Amino acid sequence: MNPLLEIDNLRVKYGNIEALHGVSFTVEDGEIVTLIGANGAGKSTTLMSIARLPPPEAPKVISGDIRHKGVSLLNMAPDKVVANLHMALVPEGRHIFGNLTVEENLKLATYARKGDSVPDIQRDYDQVYALFPRLAERRRQQSESLSGGEQQMLAVGRALMSKCSIIMLDEPSMGLAPALMYDMFRTLKQLNEEGMTILLVEQNANLALKFAHRGYVLDTGEIVAQGTSQELMADPEVKKAYLGA
Amino acid sequence: MEVLIQNIINALQWGSFYALIALGYTLVYGVLLLINFAHGDIFMVGAYIAFFLVIFMLGNIGLDPGITLALAVPLTMILTSGVGVTLERIAYRPLRRKGAHRLYVVITALMCGLILENGNLALLGASRKRFPELLETTVYRFGDVSVTNLKIIVILAAILVFFFLQFVVTRTKIGMAMRGISYDKFAIPLMGIPVDTVIVFTFILGSGFAGLAGLLFAMSYPVLEPYMGALIGWKAFIAAVVGGIGDIRGAFVGGFLLGFIEIGVVAIFPSTMRDLFAFSILLLILWAKPTGLFGLARHQKI
Repeated sequence: MNPLLEIDNLRVKYGNIEALHGVSFTVEDGEIVTLIGANGAGKSTTLMSIARLPPPEAPKVISGDIRHKGVSLLNMAPDKVVANLHMALVPEGRHIFGNLTVEENLKLATYARKGDSVPDIQRDYDQVYALFPRLAERRRQQSESLSGGEQQMLAVGRALMSKCSIIMLDEPSMGLAPALMYDMFRTLKQLNEEGMTILLVEQNANLALKFAHRGYVLDTGEIVAQGTSQELMADPEVKKAYLGA
Repeated sequence: MEVLIQNIINALQWGSFYALIALGYTLVYGVLLLINFAHGDIFMVGAYIAFFLVIFMLGNIGLDPGITLALAVPLTMILTSGVGVTLERIAYRPLRRKGAHRLYVVITALMCGLILENGNLALLGASRKRFPELLETTVYRFGDVSVTNLKIIVILAAILVFFFLQFVVTRTKIGMAMRGISYDKFAIPLMGIPVDTVIVFTFILGSGFAGLAGLLFAMSYPVLEPYMGALIGWKAFIAAVVGGIGDIRGAFVGGFLLGFIEIGVVAIFPSTMRDLFAFSILLLILWAKPTGLFGLARHQKI
């Protein structure tokens, strides 16, 4: 049985610099997996590689493979990763369309769902607005005017509207007040319990390991430790370097 | 009073031409941040496409002028969009793929315009083409004011196109993607939207309406020559900038504003002063509001 997502000895270049030197990890269906590590360790680079974002903004694969249920997705266009494999990336900095309303942002994310019926899509709108009532209140508002926390909700909401079954989150806690941050993680946990697979990149290792089932520690482009969250939290090296204990 | 109304109608007609061309500059800029300097020449190619279609339909097939016009409108728009999409495909997209700086793409656009002009010159020679009459001119008189049916058609076409585009960008997903891409290009593929589809759609709209403008212009001023798109293209571009490039309302307001200024200058001063005065006034507007009337200084929240 092939894993849902398999990163196999991946080496990528960002400009002229090799950012990942042979990274391997897997994500199984229904899991929450986290990549933790310091700033510049290659966490965002890994997610952008999986999302197949094109150069120049994104990394270029030198060798290795990224497989979805055993099938390589290296030659897939980024929009097809979303449309066909149902993998959504919530990027660092959120990248919402500030000149569109909340509702228009959500609607854009349904672009590729041509085969889905109107009631199906409507059910997803209702689900997103139920998860994030603040978005429902602001649905006609220009999304530029949302607070940081609301923008993060919108970014996750958009991923849900694209009907993803794997959601990749890049630093979702960044810039959020603690209360909002815990709300966000509670919501993500709830989504996972309903079957969503989550790949989370976080600098806040404490938070990430409490939330995830398994984790990988990335250091300057290499995986230096891996295991279940409990194992990693108990690992003296990880404790010292990332958990501030 | 009659002179004033007459001038307003003429200003609306010229403003319509400028607006129909300006929107192509503004749409492409909104999506790619590219000033497509070949756009004036796409308008010229549109006029020639209309010319050959009309000659073929009237002469070779022997169609009735009314039917010819009814067919020429959609066919000219489709074929001219093809020209715009081809330019995008063979000239702009390869540069974009290689991550070339925008400056080089703008220079490429300038060259494409020159290639279209000189290609036309080489292929068809320097002789001017006379556009056949398709529409029997009807003159409506209201006191001393006279309006031809063609002028009314031109003005109505511009207004219809405006409402059509507003509908597209506010109500359809592809239109929302066009607006979204101008704000954040990075996130478009993350929504499952192929960026190239949005870009091609933008060129289809811009070039298609340039083709419509070419046909209507050829019907109004029925002499065609290879350089006919150059000056009107520059003027429409400036109109788009004054209106606020990237904004559809800006293209229309800028286009009509330029029409009114030009006709206004000619009403008072000798016509040789028209362009000097018109551009000086536009310069003053930009001086006061460098981003154009509808333009916003862009700032992004982190």
